[in-house]
Amino acid sequence: MNRAIRHIALLTLKDLRIEARGRQTIGLVVVLAILIVVVLALGLGPGSGSSGLSATAILWVAYLFGGVLIFEKTMAVERYDDALAGLLLAPIDRGSIFAAKLLANLVLMFTLALVVTPVGIMFFQFDLSVAPGGFALVMAISMIGYAAIGTLFAALTSSTRLAGGLLAMLVFPVTLPVVLVSTRVLANLFEHNVSIGGSGLAILIAFDVMFLTASWLVFEIVLEA
Amino acid sequence: MTGRLTIQDYETRGAGRSLRLATSAETAASSPAVRAMSVHKVLDDRPILRDLTFDLPAGCYATLLGANGAGKTTLLRLLSTLTTPTRGELEIFGRSARKQGAMIRAGIGLIGHQSMVYRDLSALENLIFFGRLHDLPEPSVRAMDLLEFVGLVDRAHDPVKTFSRGMVQRVSIARALLHEPRLLLADEPFAGLDAPSADTVERLMAQLNEQGMAVILANHDVRQSLRLAERVIVLRKGRLVLDVPSGDVSAEDVLAEIDKR
Repeated sequence: MNRAIRHIALLTLKDLRIEARGRQTIGLVVVLAILIVVVLALGLGPGSGSSGLSATAILWVAYLFGGVLIFEKTMAVERYDDALAGLLLAPIDRGSIFAAKLLANLVLMFTLALVVTPVGIMFFQFDLSVAPGGFALVMAISMIGYAAIGTLFAALTSSTRLAGGLLAMLVFPVTLPVVLVSTRVLANLFEHNVSIGGSGLAILIAFDVMFLTASWLVFEIVLEA
Repeated sequence: MTGRLTIQDYETRGAGRSLRLATSAETAASSPAVRAMSVHKVLDDRPILRDLTFDLPAGCYATLLGANGAGKTTLLRLLSTLTTPTRGELEIFGRSARKQGAMIRAGIGLIGHQSMVYRDLSALENLIFFGRLHDLPEPSVRAMDLLEFVGLVDRAHDPVKTFSRGMVQRVSIARALLHEPRLLLADEPFAGLDAPSADTVERLMAQLNEQGMAVILANHDVRQSLRLAERVIVLRKGRLVLDVPSGDVSAEDVLAEIDKR
């Protein structure tokens, strides 16, 4: 177990080091996500996102597109110069590669959320102060499921010519339930002051468990295909 | 660590003589490096390798020849356990490639068409990273020893993306040797290299074989292959059509065998 954790830490730090050195992914993703928020803000008009439902839905649009770019870019690092074969030749569990890639993707997704959420709040005059902890918790849990599926499908599509476009087509429909449930939970929290501790959160956690387990199991097959 | 060290410097000053490359005692006493028994590989419903049966002894230097699409790369991927046979049995040092892939991988080094390293990391960072994945006790020492061996110690801290093709190939060789493999698989390692770089890679591989490492080289240059290897295997359309000692065959015979319809 310690060996697997050490390998996961090594692989995650490698991904983050490469990203920190080039800042190619996060810079691009943040700009895209902010553009999405700004375009929607201008299109919908001021105050249009002030309700919990519309504000989280708009933020989800930015997170979804930003996430796809993150998943694609972090997997592209492995495909370039066939570095992935170097990993597959090492005596490490394939699950460690998945776990590390997922962790790196989550770090980047959370970084994206940290930058884009305040921009969204500013443009839409959304009052996050009602329940900042609840918002962060629901979004974090939702993003884990999204990142698990995104990491798996990025491995699947990274060797194809369509890569990014195909990834979005595959990931968005599968992630739709997570987005719907999390926006509903947050709408209830912000508009009706309903606690997040109900069935909505349980459904999100169930999605996470399901997506994480399925992705973990299938990842090895996808990598070796 | 100052000044550019080359393989010639390395040989002259005897530095790194303690560098462990191949476990010659283990290699000599063990099972054949490769035993293929009726190996088939089908990809996308297309047979890529058909009924391959051959043995390669430990410590041998074999070359794999064939036209494009003959199945050389697929065979090397099978031998490296990156993929498994569709039918048949493949053993590497007596272990089943299908069942004991992880254990086999610990004894295999692969140099591919591509470098299999991260271009945004330095040569040293790459080697330390892969060394840690192989659970080496002192990955940074091993990495520096190998960079010295391949003549890149003065560029150890530079990102791989700033390297020439020949230098990248040498990093790739160092990566493949990190864990002291007993079998080195090289898939067209001279492709895209200028003459001096190709010469350096050629000498590095010969030196590794002299120290007991089995080498299987997939190559397009028949004359070079016959000069380097002691055994020649020719594939045509996925079938093994020639398997002879290199001294028993001429380049013309091999070329004729490759080109047969």
